[in-house]
Amino acid sequence: MRIAIQGIGVAGGFGCGADPLRRALLSGESKPQNILLEAESHKHEFPVYLCDTSRLADFVNKRALRRVDHFSRMAVLASVLALEDAGMLQEDHQNFAVVVASGYGATRTTFSFLDSTIDDGDACASPTLFSNSVHNAAAAHISILLKANGPNVTVSQFEMSVPSALFTACRWLQEKGVDAVIFGGVDEYCNVLGYGWQRFFGLGHKADMRPLEFEYQSAIAGEGAAFFLLTLENGDKPKYGYIADVQIGHGSISAPKIAKNNLLILGADGHKLSGSHYARHTPQGNQAAIYSPLYGSIPIGSAFDIAIAALSIKECKVFASSKYAGNNSGLNMVWKEQDLNSKPICCLKFSCSGEFGVIKLVGD
Amino acid sequence: MKTNPTVAVTGIGCLCAAGLNLKACMDSLFGGGCTPQPPSRFSSDHPTVYPVFEIYKTPSTGGNGPQADIMLTAKFALTAAEEALANAGLNRKILPDKRVGICIGTTVGSAMNNEEFYRDYRSGGRPHMDAITRFLNSNPAKVIAEQYGVAGPCQTIVNACSSGTDAIGLGASWIRSGLCDVVIAGGADELCRVTYNGFISLMITAESPCRPFDVDRKGLNLGEGAAMLVLESEAFCRKRNQVPHAMLLSYGSACDAYHLTAPAPDGRGLKQAIASAMAACQTSVDNIAFINAHGTGTPDNDRVESQVLNELLSGVPFLSTKGYTGHTLGAAGAIEAAFTIACLSAGKIPASAGFETPDPDLLSTPVQQETAVDGTIAISQSLAFGGNNAVVIFGKGEG
Repeated sequence: MRIAIQGIGVAGGFGCGADPLRRALLSGESKPQNILLEAESHKHEFPVYLCDTSRLADFVNKRALRRVDHFSRMAVLASVLALEDAGMLQEDHQNFAVVVASGYGATRTTFSFLDSTIDDGDACASPTLFSNSVHNAAAAHISILLKANGPNVTVSQFEMSVPSALFTACRWLQEKGVDAVIFGGVDEYCNVLGYGWQRFFGLGHKADMRPLEFEYQSAIAGEGAAFFLLTLENGDKPKYGYIADVQIGHGSISAPKIAKNNLLILGADGHKLSGSHYARHTPQGNQAAIYSPLYGSIPIGSAFDIAIAALSIKECKVFASSKYAGNNSGLNMVWKEQDLNSKPICCLKFSCSGEFGVIKLVGD
Repeated sequence: MKTNPTVAVTGIGCLCAAGLNLKACMDSLFGGGCTPQPPSRFSSDHPTVYPVFEIYKTPSTGGNGPQADIMLTAKFALTAAEEALANAGLNRKILPDKRVGICIGTTVGSAMNNEEFYRDYRSGGRPHMDAITRFLNSNPAKVIAEQYGVAGPCQTIVNACSSGTDAIGLGASWIRSGLCDVVIAGGADELCRVTYNGFISLMITAESPCRPFDVDRKGLNLGEGAAMLVLESEAFCRKRNQVPHAMLLSYGSACDAYHLTAPAPDGRGLKQAIASAMAACQTSVDNIAFINAHGTGTPDNDRVESQVLNELLSGVPFLSTKGYTGHTLGAAGAIEAAFTIACLSAGKIPASAGFETPDPDLLSTPVQQETAVDGTIAISQSLAFGGNNAVVIFGKGEG
């Protein structure tokens, strides 16, 4: 049986919710914020697509959020938005499973925990920060706040976290008898990551991301969460279509299998290391679109691409690729909005080391 | 009711403080075990030294290229995988042609928390990126996939202390669904100052050897290690005439949805996980030979676990092996699964190390001495931060 997408919830640099994402898709624009980052004894402006979680207060009272950090707040916010979108926020979630993907986990809290020992000594290590620094803290907060007693798992596989975790979400729906799976990806920005970014890639790409220029390093860091309410197909047509297939592989062993008539959403996000794999393995004949300049470079970027594919299916159209995506004459890119014409959509993601994930969505 | 197709366990690899391979571990378990010691690889400024179960001999990775500089967690994972594959009669020449998946649990192995790097960064230095590169090269599932040249599903499970059990259960589902012929599944974790300080901050770490289920239990001892199981479909196993050590009959998991670090007092998630696993393989309490409990030695864990075992599996012998290994976090479920299979094969379980005096508040108590066990089915269970509960059920094999 196929997996139906009943609701989506997104929070990222473009805003919070499906409407802001849709607006960003229609305008083709989403601007990062500049933060000050200290490097080589100077402060430099560093662009980052940051996520504001203040809307969470509409759903969860402040007391319940007291010890919930930014990482988990993004995940909880995207989860409740997905449930609200599916009309299932007030339902009984007892038999719901939770599957979360994260490339790096709660990095801010991880380093804040280290601060607590460095500043005040090992004996003053903060138990609250420690317990929130574990990778599955976000999944745990989702379960606690939504009273979801089903299976709960967090997967961390860098850029492959989303296809890998989606694999498990599908298995659980098909095998475990859960009513639904709250599935999604979350990653956050922190200044230590910013430091690593500048050491690995220089002081940061200041202009727009140009992810289609695969040989050029133009990534701009992002953060955010994209979640989905998934169920088995139940006879009613879901508004966002179905997940028809999840492929995982390695480009050095076999190329992704994508039929000629499928629309591609490329997950390239301005990193030239992964760009080389897109250059080598992206099927040339397929129509393709790219949206990473709307949410930034983030390990769980595939989750945003799934959300965009789901919106495309709902609205029966292909949104124009982000206008700042750069040029690539070798690809058949969608630059103007057009009808989807019931084409399946494949979200293709390559990691820097050549692993790939293909997530295929269909409307019928 | 439809039951799960079973999954054959054809190879086991394990290393921890109790031993550097499965045989050495089992000899140690039945020979009295070892005692935890102060950590040797790091120090802390706690007024008390909390003992740990440490592996003193660093394994050679067997890797090359980028794998020459990887975290200890990944080295443990590779070492256990190598033992498990050799035990299963598989190797890196055979595997790339097969549909092979990798599913590994960890905690430290996925945490970007190198303290030396961060101290330098905080003090305004420009720390070299070696520590971060090492972290990026050390994802345990990816390291194993690269070492053996396999391109099937590759997943690192970060479910805190149930990661190893969840990884085995999820890996088995890939076999059941027909997606893989072989899955290498297990868990790996290393001791580090960050988790050491973290667990002490939660006030659940003992200053002496841990005593799971004992009236005088004071908390857990941390440990490190890895264990891997080679899982195969029955058809694939038959085709290559491999005799399974055990059959993985089922996996159940559920979340308390109660608290980030404390188990639900009524044990609701654990009950649901056990019930789900038992229903999936259609077994009843009468068929269970023994239970390898999570048994960390913390007051809360042991109280809840004892209560649930009394309620659902009353009369079945159970033990905790944490007194032999310490709590190895993301590796714990996998190490305990390896021990469970080995004990099921041997028809006996060791004494639950550290348990001497029953706690009148606990409704069930573990075995106090080496005990012969009847029956062909055993349970291994894990509880974790986040309220996760994971249970795997094994049936006796022929090997």
